[in-house]
Amino acid sequence: MTLNLQFMRETLLSTAAGIPTTLELTCVALLISLPAGFFMAIGKLGNRRGAKRLISFYVSFVRGTPIVLQILFVYSLLPSLLNHIVKNVLGLSWNVFNINPIIYAFFVFSFNTAAVLSETFRSALLTVSHGQMEAALSVGLSRVQAYVRVIIPQALAAALPNLCNATVNLLKSTSLAYMMTVKDITAIAKLNAAKGYNYIEAYLVIFVIYILLCTTVQLLFYVMESILSGYKKRITI
Amino acid sequence: MRPFKPGYILEVLPRILPYTAVTLGIMAGTVFFGGLLGFLLACAKIRGGKVGNGVANVYIYITRCVPSIVMLFIVYYGLPEFLRGIGIQTDSRNHGLFVIITFSILFGAVMAEVFRSAYESIDRGQREAGLSVGLSGFQTFRRIMLPQCTVVILPNFANALVNLMKEGSLAYTIGLMDLMGRGQWIIGMNNGSYSLEVYLALFIVYWILTILIEYVFRQVERRLSRGKKIVV
Repeated sequence: MTLNLQFMRETLLSTAAGIPTTLELTCVALLISLPAGFFMAIGKLGNRRGAKRLISFYVSFVRGTPIVLQILFVYSLLPSLLNHIVKNVLGLSWNVFNINPIIYAFFVFSFNTAAVLSETFRSALLTVSHGQMEAALSVGLSRVQAYVRVIIPQALAAALPNLCNATVNLLKSTSLAYMMTVKDITAIAKLNAAKGYNYIEAYLVIFVIYILLCTTVQLLFYVMESILSGYKKRITI
Repeated sequence: MRPFKPGYILEVLPRILPYTAVTLGIMAGTVFFGGLLGFLLACAKIRGGKVGNGVANVYIYITRCVPSIVMLFIVYYGLPEFLRGIGIQTDSRNHGLFVIITFSILFGAVMAEVFRSAYESIDRGQREAGLSVGLSGFQTFRRIMLPQCTVVILPNFANALVNLMKEGSLAYTIGLMDLMGRGQWIIGMNNGSYSLEVYLALFIVYWILTILIEYVFRQVERRLSRGKKIVV
């Protein structure tokens, strides 16, 4: 077995062009699902029964079914549903099928990650003792101020390791975006591979790219962790 | 837009349900080989010294950074080439084998961490106490360490198993006829129509399987952790 090095070099360059798309998918999904996951965690810790049940149902569904199935379902439902709404309900002549499919990818990955993050945040919020909230309220902070200045910074430090895991998993699952014709790293590699049957070479190249990307994410979280958990060290001194 | 036909979900369920056996079979094979690999890796991490620990750590790190689908493609396209290079012919229609190999590689890394953390969660004194009352090393492992480790392993194992099942659904991309593969095949036979109904049926099957796995493991865990109450 000999590897076609020339092809690998070319593929490295062309798949590198997909890195921004992969990162865009990861970042946008993360930006949407961070607040969504946070509010769901608050909802689950609160005492509204209906909200609690709804969130549990949603989390159980997302975590109980394969993401590839969620992708295929959304991609076969949303475009034609939107088209139906635009054409027949709103009566516009705007062509839905011109929408960049990355929008659907944002939707699926946010939908999926929000469920994972709600669990992460719930357990992180539980690590902050109740006395912290009471202390913050007793010195005259409002509830929102107490969350922003006291609870969240502490919970975030506890959540970071799981948040890092969730981000790495999200980055990995964006490789399935090719099913929605999004041109990410995997999609470009697949395309290149099919041209001349250079499958192994193409996939080995993105194998390395994914390792590098995940390493970068983990390093970033490592830096954040050392910054955020700074307050702990000050207490011990 | 073609009208949605909920009745088709019930119609298609009996046609995909038999393929649960394939999905579960792949999972069983992966749990066996991946579990074995994970056990060896955990041993390397605990007893392997600097070299063993280093090799295990690099292996675990790399496999955790790579998407399952990329690993699946590498194994499916790369392994036959590699084996041909050393004179072994493989049949690329043998999809199940490639799927089990791929997911064993990935599952092994997950299980290595599960085994190691369980082993380290047990107080050192337990092992020393076992040895001090005259049990051999193996006896101590089997009668003292293993029962306690199992309780710690169970919830993490259940989690890993559910993830394995979900990731395993990717196997249809190389042509395996499991639950997902069968669903896609039915959609193909319908020329792409009724896809929503078929996907909904698949959602139901996977969701129920997940809930079942979690329920069974919770029951087993409850049974096995009975002994803990007496100690405290």
